[in-house]
Amino acid sequence: MDYYLQQLVNGICLGGMYALMSVGYSLVYSIMNFSNFAHGGVIMVGAYVGFFALTALKVPFWIAFLLCGLGSGLLAIIIERLVYSPLRKRHAPSLYFIISAMGASIFLENFVIATIDGTPRNYPTLFSNNITIGSVSLGLDSLLMIIVSAVSLLVLIFIIQKTKIGLAIRACSYNEKAGTLMGINASMVIFTVFLMGGVLAGFAGMLYGMRFIVKPTIGQVTNKSFVAAVFGGLGSLPGAILGSLLLGIMEIFVASINSNLRDLFVYALLILVLIFKPSGLMGKVVEDKA
Amino acid sequence: MRKAGKKLLAVVLSLIMVIGLLSACGGNSGGNSGGNSGGEKIKLGWMGSLTGEQAAYGICESQTLKMLVEEMNAAGGILGKQIELIPYDTKGDAQEAINVAKRLCAQDKVCAIIGPNASGQCIAIQSVLDEYKVPDLSTVATNEKVTVQDGKLKEYNFRICFLDPQQGKIAGSFVKDELKFDKAAILYDVNDDYAKGLKDNFIKVFTDKGGTIVSEQAYNGGDTDFTAQLTKIKEANPQIIFTPIFYQDFINIHKQARTLGITLPMLGGDGCASQVLFDAADAVDGSYVINHVSLVDPAGDSFRQRYAEKYNGAKMELNGYMAHDAFQLWVAAVNKAGKAEPDAIAKAYCEVEVTGMAGRIKISPEDHNPVGKSGCVEQIDGKNKTYKFITYIAAD
Repeated sequence: MDYYLQQLVNGICLGGMYALMSVGYSLVYSIMNFSNFAHGGVIMVGAYVGFFALTALKVPFWIAFLLCGLGSGLLAIIIERLVYSPLRKRHAPSLYFIISAMGASIFLENFVIATIDGTPRNYPTLFSNNITIGSVSLGLDSLLMIIVSAVSLLVLIFIIQKTKIGLAIRACSYNEKAGTLMGINASMVIFTVFLMGGVLAGFAGMLYGMRFIVKPTIGQVTNKSFVAAVFGGLGSLPGAILGSLLLGIMEIFVASINSNLRDLFVYALLILVLIFKPSGLMGKVVEDKA
Repeated sequence: MRKAGKKLLAVVLSLIMVIGLLSACGGNSGGNSGGNSGGEKIKLGWMGSLTGEQAAYGICESQTLKMLVEEMNAAGGILGKQIELIPYDTKGDAQEAINVAKRLCAQDKVCAIIGPNASGQCIAIQSVLDEYKVPDLSTVATNEKVTVQDGKLKEYNFRICFLDPQQGKIAGSFVKDELKFDKAAILYDVNDDYAKGLKDNFIKVFTDKGGTIVSEQAYNGGDTDFTAQLTKIKEANPQIIFTPIFYQDFINIHKQARTLGITLPMLGGDGCASQVLFDAADAVDGSYVINHVSLVDPAGDSFRQRYAEKYNGAKMELNGYMAHDAFQLWVAAVNKAGKAEPDAIAKAYCEVEVTGMAGRIKISPEDHNPVGKSGCVEQIDGKNKTYKFITYIAAD
């Protein structure tokens, strides 16, 4: 019993991290109807910001954490302004956005390799203690990750549900044209969406780096959080969170049976969802999942 | 105004791209500066990972060789000629290793190659070596197939390190005979030949001696989350976890094991021994690694000191010792052959004998492997960020 409880906790930890990452995919998708693959690159840069803040600037954890959010948020906005904004003005099809996003992601990866280097780096140990309840163990870093994920996601949901800009975001996600006609500044909405997605990406990057490793190819690791977003229903925030948690838990249980099936399971799930329920668990009505 | 802003932006962006390109080129050609200076120099090639997951190893190898070449050139060179080292990055990729080997043989026309620092890449470059008849002397490639495949000797592949079967044997003997443990678990990368070779031989020796493998868990290279497998291992209640993998995963696995409340020691192969381990000193404290040479042996003091002085206090990796020994063997072979020609050097590799940092090296003409090597087991002392020498175990 304790064994399964421990695996469940492992799954929630993994899912919590997927949630922080997948929300960024869903946010952008809900407004702009395309999968922002540059998100992985933004997460990676966040991980590097945190690493250098801790090792080179030697700032305390919380400041490094905020710097990560700030750095990645800024980067996400810059990408939006430089890469997507010109496409948006030309009313380019979403395929163009996806290809540009992939380009931006590869650019970021190689930019880091060229300017920093490709060597993987390890965060200094910040929280080495762990909490034991019964025979279930949970590292302080994992606990922190779950708390941070939960708090940031709650704040995000609060912003979207209860504030004026949140109302504008929701309106634009239903119908951008109608929203614009009602006097909503669509540029402002998109700016906010990228900022929020970027800040979360920075947090996720730092948590990822603390738990695992920092390297230029982290962006590719975030593919699974994209699968989680599709599974939960691209464009839906609660869907992204639910999809991430479920994916994390299922992945851990599959891995505990046979670790070779782990990725097979995740990507088979992606294909099955796209075939049988393209709108995912809680997604909007069927559209192009591109 | 807007237009001017856009132009400025375009200029800035193109500048960034140019800088990116320049720095990328700089990295590649850094070691090649001063090339094409005629046939006066003896050209020695090196290849290995200067970027990627195993970069710490490759960087140390190339820096060590650079230092040794400079020292030798300052002392008059070899056969009265100066040595030119041509190092290339393989990015830890087998395909890239083939490209690099071709460039070294066809374009740079080196007389011999040292490296690369992983078995997969060494196996990949065999056809290039055979085509151009240039010998390669590998530092730490421990897979059996590096020198002999399907019972056939590879004419131009040599190595100075012990092999995976021997390393698996060292690991098995150490756990059963030295630590007196009966129950071991294994966690390894199922996509890696090196890990599989070590694992199989460890199981064979350990179970032959009466030990039990209580849990055998695998992961796919590139995976970063090991909590599912570690939780299973915890359930099986072993006394030690054998992890025949590379140092980066070794660190990750330790970090996650400690958060799961697993305090067991782990035993890694030569792919784990790295100074990078001390980045996670708390987590890896108390675990063991098998190595080709003791990293704290006083005999290496002067060598480590010279290296640290030259490279801003950089710590010597295992690969530095092996590169040192490979270089020594190459020098002996060139002297023996009396000329810096690929075929003569290949022949001389099996005729000379040197005593390097990792003991005596004599290459057997039958399988191009060194004879009579032994492995050393060291324990990680996380508090003092150093290794503690435990024992030597004969590899044969």
